Amino acid sequence: MEGWSGKILEVNLSTGGTETHALDTDMARLFLGGRGLGARLLWDLVGPEVEPLSPGNVLIFAAGPLTASGSQTSNRFSVSTKSPLTGTILDANSGGWWGMQFKRTGHDALIVRGRAERPVMIAITPEGVSIQDAAHLWGKTVSETTRLLGQNNNKRNVLCIGPAGENLSRMAAIMNDGTRSLARGGPGAVMGSKNLKAIVVVGDQKNQAEDRERFQFMLYETGKLIKASPLTSQALPEFGTSVVMNVVNEIGALPTRNFRQSQFEGAEAISGERMTDTILVRKQACWACPIACTRVTKTERAEGEGPEYESTWALGAQCGIDDLEAIAEANYLCNDLGLDTISTGSTIGCAMEMAERGLLDSDLRFGRADLLLGTIRSIAYREDLGDQLAEGSYRFAEAYGVPELSMSAKKLEMPAYDPRGMQGQGLLYATSNRGACHMRGNMLGPEVLALPRLIDRLATQGKAGIVAVHQNTAAVVDSLVLCKFTNLAVAEEFFARTLTAVTGVPFTGDDLQQVGERVWNLERLYNLREGFTRADDTLPDRMLKEPIKEGPSAGFTVQLEPMLEEYYQFRGWDSQGVPRPAKLKQLSLDELVLQAEGAGR
Amino acid sequence: MPKVKLYGNLRRYSQSPTLDVPGRNVAETLATLCAQNDDLYEAILQDGKLKPHIRVMLAGRDVELAQGLDTPVGDEDILAIFPPIAGGSSHRRS
Repeated sequence: MEGWSGKILEVNLSTGGTETHALDTDMARLFLGGRGLGARLLWDLVGPEVEPLSPGNVLIFAAGPLTASGSQTSNRFSVSTKSPLTGTILDANSGGWWGMQFKRTGHDALIVRGRAERPVMIAITPEGVSIQDAAHLWGKTVSETTRLLGQNNNKRNVLCIGPAGENLSRMAAIMNDGTRSLARGGPGAVMGSKNLKAIVVVGDQKNQAEDRERFQFMLYETGKLIKASPLTSQALPEFGTSVVMNVVNEIGALPTRNFRQSQFEGAEAISGERMTDTILVRKQACWACPIACTRVTKTERAEGEGPEYESTWALGAQCGIDDLEAIAEANYLCNDLGLDTISTGSTIGCAMEMAERGLLDSDLRFGRADLLLGTIRSIAYREDLGDQLAEGSYRFAEAYGVPELSMSAKKLEMPAYDPRGMQGQGLLYATSNRGACHMRGNMLGPEVLALPRLIDRLATQGKAGIVAVHQNTAAVVDSLVLCKFTNLAVAEEFFARTLTAVTGVPFTGDDLQQVGERVWNLERLYNLREGFTRADDTLPDRMLKEPIKEGPSAGFTVQLEPMLEEYYQFRGWDSQGVPRPAKLKQLSLDELVLQAEGAGR
Repeated sequence: MPKVKLYGNLRRYSQSPTLDVPGRNVAETLATLCAQNDDLYEAILQDGKLKPHIRVMLAGRDVELAQGLDTPVGDEDILAIFPPIAGGSSHRRS
């Protein structure tokens, strides 16, 4: 069976031991790789008794069957763990080069267990696997660490944490290739809790397709589709992801000043169009990517990668800041210190509202761009107020008695779409397995951009099924692992045909949709096992009870309950959001649950 | 007079991103907008209809959900026209 390397590497930092296991081929067919494989392994390895920042938690880095195959955007990989921010199952994925290089070491996944006594790094090279002293790297920034460890895009790739991860910020990202991030939910803190600073990979193996002729044909056909689509051949390369800033603002769904408003007067000043006209230096692509959405930008004082749309929003509109250079520099700093830009920006915005309302003794105010860099540093190093902000907006606001001012679901900060103006997005945030997220499916497509067709963004009826299908699709793309932007031009049937060519295992588009549904349900089961209930499938009161005051979405709150009822029914779950036995059987998850129940008895 | 706001790469076909354009409905406004501008017409329209992925919004609502090109436009209205755009997240092709 090609596509999969057939090996899982396990490193125990407590004992210093390393082992290699065979990949269970049935597991591979059912969950593919990346997020799906990570969820399946995590189900067995990390139960409810494990605290996220304890040695009992694990980090599972996983590639997919298409990773490093050369198929368009086959550069991605994921990390799975229990989140220290949300307490839910977590996976985060990233592009760049590291994922491709890791797969070339001949492994499908790396499981990191335990905790080292002092700072270490892991090296996986053709010479073997080793745990090495990293005391000299502890305290260093991401760019310093990446450079010192000899990052060389196509030959030697570095993944590391920055000071934020070392200091256990619950918003800490894991960074790879210097500027790419596994950002959401605090995986960097889990890595920091293990005293693991970095993982260096050098690979010498290839992921060659089982049916090379068919693979080459699919490569050609997929390339044609990406080139033919104005979305992947023009919109993303020309303006990057921030091109959606103006359209989201136009419809009155751009969260502004901690979601107190839904249109930002400074949207144009921080838009993708403005970025292209001002600070853009060049475009950049990940390995094997023909789209090239990444921006390299330069301000008067610094140069770096990004900011992406979500980061521009979080450090911009969410904080009432319309200074694009200040936002770009804040983004560079978050990357260098290893912080999730969305949670960081949103948490600062939350603190700004609290300070303006007299609930917090701080100079922070909406629009204070001059305080951004200092606040970000204080979060990463846990200094002064930053020590509290590093806990994320929910715990921060809760400590002051106002958790309702955290704009989060399951304690993960909501991204750059006000769900009151996009009802389906509200359902998506509320039901997302890792907390509020735009990467577990996104209703921007159908509710705003007419992708694949337009539906009324302010309606609720019929949204549940669309949300669920989008969630399943995101889950399977995250398990292949590919970049979701390819899905703008390429239908799942094409992914299935490519997967068949690479692995030799026949897959259809429907099969992939079922893989996605299986992954989604397993993640749901994991969260239920952790004690999450229907009551956690919710949104901040501001979204449910405070109508938008002005603009095209004025008067709307999220009508969550009717959508949630419909969603559970569509999913085959009971009224409490628990998957019914028939659904589990259909997805081949029934035996897994029975085994767990048996073990529990 | 209604205003038209252009976004993304549509701006390369106009000296200003915001224009005053007369018209009683969307079709008339677009016709006037493109009357002296073949490049803009090519970018937005095909056989008198909106090209795929072009979004036209009136007061933040997509005109496709109103009366399409027949949607009435008032003197104080602003029509926002977006070229094919994507970003920020995942989408589904099918």
